[in-house]
Amino acid sequence: MALVNIQNLTYKYPLTKTPALQNINLQIEQGEFISVIGANGAGKSTLCYALAGFVPHFFKGEISGEIEVDGVASSKSTLDEWVVNVGLAFQNPFNQISGAKYTVFEEIAFGLENAGVPREQMQSRVEEAMKLTGISNLADRSPYSLSGGQQQRVALTSILVMQPKLLVLDEPTSQMDPIGTREVFSVIHNLTQSGMTVVMVEHKVEWIAHFATRVIALKDGSILTEGKPGDVLTSDVLTKNGFGVSRYTSVAREAKKQGLWKKEKLPVTLFEAAEGFNRNA
Amino acid sequence: MHERLSFYIKRDSVIHRLNPLTKLVLVFAFIGVAFTFPWYWMSLSLFLFVLIPLAFVAKVSREYFFTATRLILPAAGFLFLMQALFQPIGEEIIFQFYFLDATRESLAFAFTIAARIIVMISAFTLLLLTTHPSELMSDLTRRGLPGQFAYVIISTLQILPQMQAKAQTIIAAQRSRGLDTESTFLKRAGSVLPLVGPLVFGSLVEVEERAIAIEARGFTSKKEKTSLHEVPDTVTDKTIRWVLIILIILSISLNLWL
Amino acid sequence: MLDKIKSNFNTQTWVLIPIAIAINLVVGQIVLTLKLPVFLDSIGTVLVAVLCGPWAGALTGALSNTIAGIALDPGWFPWWPVAAMIGYMAGRMAEWGFFKSWWKVVVTGFVIALTAVIVSTPIAVYLFGGITASGSSFITAYLLQTGQGIWQAVASTSFITEPVDKITTAMLAFAIILGLPKRTVGGYPKAANAEAEGADRNQLYIAIGVVVLLVLFAAFLLRNILGG
Ligand SMILES: Nc1ncnc2c1ncn2[C@@H]1O[C@H](COP(=O)(O)OP(=O)(O)O)[C@@H](O)[C@H]1O
Ligand SMILES: [Mg+2]
Repeated sequence: MALVNIQNLTYKYPLTKTPALQNINLQIEQGEFISVIGANGAGKSTLCYALAGFVPHFFKGEISGEIEVDGVASSKSTLDEWVVNVGLAFQNPFNQISGAKYTVFEEIAFGLENAGVPREQMQSRVEEAMKLTGISNLADRSPYSLSGGQQQRVALTSILVMQPKLLVLDEPTSQMDPIGTREVFSVIHNLTQSGMTVVMVEHKVEWIAHFATRVIALKDGSILTEGKPGDVLTSDVLTKNGFGVSRYTSVAREAKKQGLWKKEKLPVTLFEAAEGFNRNA
Repeated sequence: MHERLSFYIKRDSVIHRLNPLTKLVLVFAFIGVAFTFPWYWMSLSLFLFVLIPLAFVAKVSREYFFTATRLILPAAGFLFLMQALFQPIGEEIIFQFYFLDATRESLAFAFTIAARIIVMISAFTLLLLTTHPSELMSDLTRRGLPGQFAYVIISTLQILPQMQAKAQTIIAAQRSRGLDTESTFLKRAGSVLPLVGPLVFGSLVEVEERAIAIEARGFTSKKEKTSLHEVPDTVTDKTIRWVLIILIILSISLNLWL
Repeated sequence: MLDKIKSNFNTQTWVLIPIAIAINLVVGQIVLTLKLPVFLDSIGTVLVAVLCGPWAGALTGALSNTIAGIALDPGWFPWWPVAAMIGYMAGRMAEWGFFKSWWKVVVTGFVIALTAVIVSTPIAVYLFGGITASGSSFITAYLLQTGQGIWQAVASTSFITEPVDKITTAMLAFAIILGLPKRTVGGYPKAANAEAEGADRNQLYIAIGVVVLLVLFAAFLLRNILGG
């Protein structure tokens, strides 16, 4: 059985007329790394909130259809029960600092304290999670004294330490420089390698092509297309609907028109492009 | 401002090791006795013979005297002057200053009030110097204070310096655009909105996202919360607390009785 | 009762309170730098009271003074009941529908000011013999010298300073809520209490006019008392 099962989900925020999500159907298997793309206002964040339980439990509004994670329906659960199974991290690292703690170590333990985890377990779980994300050296720093990339990793660790079944990440690298992006992606890659299921909103197509197992393209609250990164990210549907594509895809598409790109499939990453052109020669 | 929000000095002393609640009760005992004990010299004696020695025992005498000279004495001194000159009590005028005069009674009253204020602030200062805010809050939470209170207190202590820094930036920016704190009343009044607006709107818009972030970490969980740090509470602590409570009751009863 | 108190608090309330306290203190300091004849140190308290309810407002006021006592100046401590009652009254007025248009907000401001006078007078009299460490004590001292009773002197002093301050505070809080996106306001427990029903420009001008008249009135009172 799929870990996540969304059926005919339609959702409207309070005080709005058009639904932010329309008739979404989606199954996610354990261990998948799903990347969600779409223009501003397409409903990516709303989908994240729906997976994480905040739609509708926090935002209220009108909902129809059903979201199930691990066999439990969101409509039959409360937010505080739901967040134990689904972790959410998002764009702005600064707003994710709880503010209730003075050190990174305490900050990461915040969720465990709330969940009533015994002290002895807490210590080792925090240490383990920090090792996983490579921030053990920050343990005694104030969360406010860190760089954006470090804060984002602290936010990620604070969620991971709660051992969710599904990790939902809404543009976690969008305020990050290339180094920060690399750090975040390498952490998430390691996680998926060890079996974590991840849904991540992300614009950096080359990174997606490299790591994701499936891409979902949203438009106006509906799923436009989905499939393997190599197929979706190079498809004509995307270009026709105004999605940004990788520059290597654009170059190869142009090259193909002039007969310079011989392969059937277009590239997304530099590596694929180089390989493809190399084969031509 | 930054350093003043975390008074705490990390040292190892008997006072540091006391349970935070014991220290809190101690503060209230100081205040209770200073304000109610019916003996004129009580507050001054508490200050000289109990509070100052305590500062040494707690190994924070340097920091305490620093706070005292910078904060406590100026405040108490100002209050003393105001009371001595403005209180319209007493007959025997000691000296006069325009329509203001200081009498024997008003000086005595001023002294009482100033001494009480010194005791009150000194006691709080010693508590803050020897107790980490999160230690105090975890102990109180463990004893049944709702966890949200700990969140509110510590979060405020961390947000305040950030807001102050932001305000300084905005004021500096407005100054370079011609804001003058010496200009006409209307101009100064008109500059309130451009100064306050960005500060207030910016932080209010963030509330929703920050609420989501802490809910994602079980802020509203109905489970009984645990705490990362263990705050020790010994038999000595319990004894001290009872003794102090009896002391407070005694002082209040003496005051009512006499 | 307990349910009523609880209805004031959701997660957004708990996140808002620290921000509101910081707004109180920082705006208070800015106004001090600008040397304006008002305090404006309870805008945050009124915001919480209106958006979340009277109990949340009271808590914000009380904590605001406690934390100001720790962080800025211990002189704040004794006044926490005043701040708490300001928050409570602002929330009550909002529940009674008095935070929906400019003139109603002026009424709310005035009621908050009266509350402040009533609660602060006994504290000033019992704790400080009427003379607090604030600048307005000069007026009290003068009134005392002219032979007025202590209660009367203290109460009239704060009656000169409070209304302008609290009406301005309430109006600024209202302006802030009007300026926020609807969906930012919507998540608070008592957002409906702040739904503006007739907040047009003309009303704003009338309200500002009322405040100006009050300032003049206070100045007039001051001259009469001090001159007489
Ligand atoms: N809290 C909210 N209240 C009302 N409408 C909202 C809210 N959040 C988002 N929306 C609307 O829902 C739609 C989808 O938004 P969102 O999921 O944030 O898009 P994306 O993350 O893809 O940019 C947009 O039209 C947006 O204006
Ligand atoms: Mg988004």
